[in-house]
Amino acid sequence: MAAESSKQFWKRSAKLPGSIQPVYGAQHPPLDPRLTKNFIKERSKGNTLPLKNKKASSFHEFARNTSDAWDIGDDEDEDFSSSFQTLNSKVAKATAAQVLENHSKLRVKPERAQSALSEMPTNCKVIKSSSEAQLSRSPEDACVRNALHKQQSLPLRPIIPLVARISDQNASGAPPMTVREKTRLEKFRQLLSSHNTDLDELRKCSWPGVPREVRPVTWRLLSGYLPANKERRKLTLQRKREEYFGFIEQYYDSRNEENHQDTYRQIFERILFIWAIRHPASGYVQGINDLVTPFFVVFLSEHVEEDVENFDVTTLSQDVLRSIEADSFWCMSKLLDGIQDNYTFAQPGIQKKVKALEELVSRIDEQVHNHFRKYEVEYLQFAFRWMNNLLMRELPLRCTIRLWDTYQSEPEGFSHFHLYVCAAFLIKWRKEILDEEDFQGLLMLLQNLPTIHWGNEEIGLLLAEAYRLKYMFADAPNHYRR
Amino acid sequence: MAYAYLFKYIIIGDTGVGKSCLLLQFTDKRFQPVHDLTIGVEFGARMITIDGKQIKLQIWDTAGQESFRSITRSYYRGAAGALLVYDITRRDTFNHLTTWLEDARQHSNSNMVIMLIGNKSDLESRREVKKEEGEAFAREHGLIFMETSAKTASNVEEAFINTAKEIYEKIQEGVFDINNEANGIKIGPQHAASNATLTGNQGGQQAGGGCC
Repeated sequence: MAAESSKQFWKRSAKLPGSIQPVYGAQHPPLDPRLTKNFIKERSKGNTLPLKNKKASSFHEFARNTSDAWDIGDDEDEDFSSSFQTLNSKVAKATAAQVLENHSKLRVKPERAQSALSEMPTNCKVIKSSSEAQLSRSPEDACVRNALHKQQSLPLRPIIPLVARISDQNASGAPPMTVREKTRLEKFRQLLSSHNTDLDELRKCSWPGVPREVRPVTWRLLSGYLPANKERRKLTLQRKREEYFGFIEQYYDSRNEENHQDTYRQIFERILFIWAIRHPASGYVQGINDLVTPFFVVFLSEHVEEDVENFDVTTLSQDVLRSIEADSFWCMSKLLDGIQDNYTFAQPGIQKKVKALEELVSRIDEQVHNHFRKYEVEYLQFAFRWMNNLLMRELPLRCTIRLWDTYQSEPEGFSHFHLYVCAAFLIKWRKEILDEEDFQGLLMLLQNLPTIHWGNEEIGLLLAEAYRLKYMFADAPNHYRR
Repeated sequence: MAYAYLFKYIIIGDTGVGKSCLLLQFTDKRFQPVHDLTIGVEFGARMITIDGKQIKLQIWDTAGQESFRSITRSYYRGAAGALLVYDITRRDTFNHLTTWLEDARQHSNSNMVIMLIGNKSDLESRREVKKEEGEAFAREHGLIFMETSAKTASNVEEAFINTAKEIYEKIQEGVFDINNEANGIKIGPQHAASNATLTGNQGGQQAGGGCC
């Protein structure tokens, strides 16, 4: 039953506000005077959002409250200009402002998740095929379909049912635990409960995937957020969480004096805001907010066993909620530390990686490479997003989480191994690619790769292939330099 | 599919003005109130008919966010048409037009046709930019102008098609060198057959006939 309910939880909460998109990055020029002006101007706008004074207690309610948010300006930023003056770095100001501006534009996100979810039959069965998904008829449904469009399709390609994107399981549902899985879980428990967790061993065990039961604590350890020494963990957590909320108090609190409701959106906004304040040099790039979601969802899963169907974030105790938020912040920060040049001015890290991808593919699959050249497809045209959002736009969330088990176990997983994963991912579609006979067809395909039903198995294969590529090429860069 | 010409477009403008929605309305005839924000650039395409000729439009929809600018700029080159979009309910998006225009002019070929679009015309009650202001800006800078609504589809077809008509006329006038693909125009296979009737005063563009 626990498995069943947590499965439903995944369905429900994967599309958190922030989960989806854009939010922040290295703003350049560092201080845009227009920004300040806009914020002040926006203040004078009538506040049409009831959200502010009303506690949104569930995703559903939250969604209703924000349903009109999509093209409204940024009323959210009402109190921003006052806190503005208290911040000392101009750059940080601008960057943080951008977080807020973008984030408030994004308030719509949870609505999307919600409207999608509310369309699900009450038994929440997983829609297994795109044809089934197409059957939906209501306008809301159409809207959900549309919402999935970016990931899914320009003209008519199968639509990813949201549930399939979110569920932690393969579309076929959660199978009962095998003996092997039980043994693995036991092994994890042993490692985690030992006085000093052997991190090398933990990485080794985690590479092929972390059992969901122990994922939250394993991720905290793998990311370097928690110390290996078991006795010190509790204190570290306490200290880091306090530290985070110290930042909040220092930089953020003044914005929302009257009301501290902890909705998903607010939590995400705070996390991104604080990150931006602390990383003024980093780019303010849409997509970084996506990177909070896996952490948030994994840490939330620790506390949500029952009644996830109508999961209400405010039913969690303040303490729990704060710990999820702080942990998500720190782990995301650790991740971003490793890929900072992805998000600095002109995004050099991404440019470099796309170039490396091109070189690699030209070595491992000349046919695909030449096919692209023949039809003038450039790698940057499709792979930019793969790098900018770590494939999160191309894969269901459950797959991203599984992928991150490995990324966190692999040295330089996010910054380096990801390149091999992208190469393996591309080659995975070689047949479909070679079947396309023009630029347009290729671009449409590459923008909307049909990963809708992907689960652990597909990711496992992908990672194995990526590992093989890395093994072949990583230590011999000349191999792939033509 | 056979076509006479292929035109490449780019859609630019501030975040949240409705660039992706305009494209979606044009290519798929639907409106998506909530969608993922564009990362970098995204691609769309549709066939239209002008003067009895099939014309394929390939459209790059760019992310409005400043940090992506260095990526999106490279798409100006090779575009025959640009849709420069602002949101009539947000004055700031109109105020930024000059910056966008400078950027476009600097990075594109000089003949690129630019259509100025005031989007979200369905939100009359929240309007912050008068239609006359859009018209005046367009006049001053030599742009075509329309107000559209990606939501109701009002003028969306027209915006894309009028831009194509303008490009088509420029071809007829011989302004565009259609043999230079950097101009964002290609001659299609269909055109190769009836080439002579279409070329206007273009000289020696025959060579491109077979490409697609």
